Amino acid sequence: MILYPAIDIRGGQAVRLLQGDYERETTYDADPVDAAKRWADEGAEFLHVVDLDGAKAGEPRNLDAIERIVASVSCPIQVGGGLRDPQSVRAMLDAGADRVVIGTAALKDPEFLDAMLEAHGHRVVVSVDARAGQVAVEGWTEEGEESVVDAVAALSERGVARFLCTAIEVDGTMEGPALQQLNEIATATKSQVIASGGVGNLTHLESLAQASSPNIEGAIVGRALYEQKFTVAEAIEALK
Amino acid sequence: MTARICILDYGMGNLRSVEKALEHVGATATISNDPEVVRSADGVILPGVGAFPKAMERVRGTGLEELVAERLDAGVPVLGICLGLQLLFESTTELGGAEGTALLAGEVDELDAGELKVPHIGWSPVRWEKESRLTEGIESETPFYFVHSFAPQPLDADLLGSAAYGARFACAAECDNIFGVQFHPEKSSTAGLRLLSNFAGICSAVPA
Repeated sequence: MILYPAIDIRGGQAVRLLQGDYERETTYDADPVDAAKRWADEGAEFLHVVDLDGAKAGEPRNLDAIERIVASVSCPIQVGGGLRDPQSVRAMLDAGADRVVIGTAALKDPEFLDAMLEAHGHRVVVSVDARAGQVAVEGWTEEGEESVVDAVAALSERGVARFLCTAIEVDGTMEGPALQQLNEIATATKSQVIASGGVGNLTHLESLAQASSPNIEGAIVGRALYEQKFTVAEAIEALK
Repeated sequence: MTARICILDYGMGNLRSVEKALEHVGATATISNDPEVVRSADGVILPGVGAFPKAMERVRGTGLEELVAERLDAGVPVLGICLGLQLLFESTTELGGAEGTALLAGEVDELDAGELKVPHIGWSPVRWEKESRLTEGIESETPFYFVHSFAPQPLDADLLGSAAYGARFACAAECDNIFGVQFHPEKSSTAGLRLLSNFAGICSAVPA
């Protein structure tokens, strides 16, 4: 499995939110490039970058920081946050992102999703956020009526090759991933699933690597790395 | 001695990550297509993303085809990366076909990926097929990061590395002072940096 160290950018800084709440934010690096370089130099195989300002604004707001990260690290990166139209997606790929993560727009605007899958194929990751097993959309502040398992199954039929599944209840808590929900999701699709939320120690990563469906291809880790609960190298080892 | 490496600019792709990676391993990197700058370099990198025919057109249009051949004759090491590797070969079947620089023998063809989807994007272990200064210190079957739909078919004597995606394919080649890799060393973490560092070492070892 692939470790995806997470870098969330807000107001030009690398921050972590607790349970997706913009009011409960911790700043870790004044320059997100420093965080990116730290994880990459420690051996990260991929980075997961979120433009939180962009997610709120509905269009990318930190393209310059993304470009600087791409130029500074020797690993591929995926970027999400506010990618809701073809121009924004194009701009993010031109900035050097290897993959784009589309959230809300993929669920609300099927035509947009189809066009992006047609144009960018495997470079498109669809992010599905879950609260109590239901899909939560619009920067996590609005809730849907659809179960995550159904949503993922339907989206894989449309051709989505990779999902990013975040369990909001545990995100930022470091209390452990939502294993049961992840397994249910991964069983409902043949596509790849990246698990996000709740990782706080190496045992959590080992449990992801061992207990879960082979479709679970990676794990996002944020706060636990910033708070030095373990190193990138240790995390990669735990996911083997 | 610090190797001065010129990354050839023919207007395709983001070259800054290659530049930064070279600086990271202690080389001096310049992005240029100015013949004088290229001639003053200890080593040359031919990068590339996108489609072969268009890239080759630009390589010709900017006069880089002759320049690369000239530097090779002068003994300067040249490293092709991704599409840059493919351009070193005789021809491709991509988009109806096109001629390459023919600095290496063989043609470029679409991956035989079987059930798997093309392009091949992701980390794949690379098996070294012979010993090389370029791969020194990097174990065989170390993963590197790929983004491609086509791969070259070098002569057995020039085959440096292979990987599997569906069928096995050649992903690294070497002949005299010509080197090429299908994967992106600048995105392949510590192993990729080691490979670029080795290339810089090869460049600075050549007597000026």
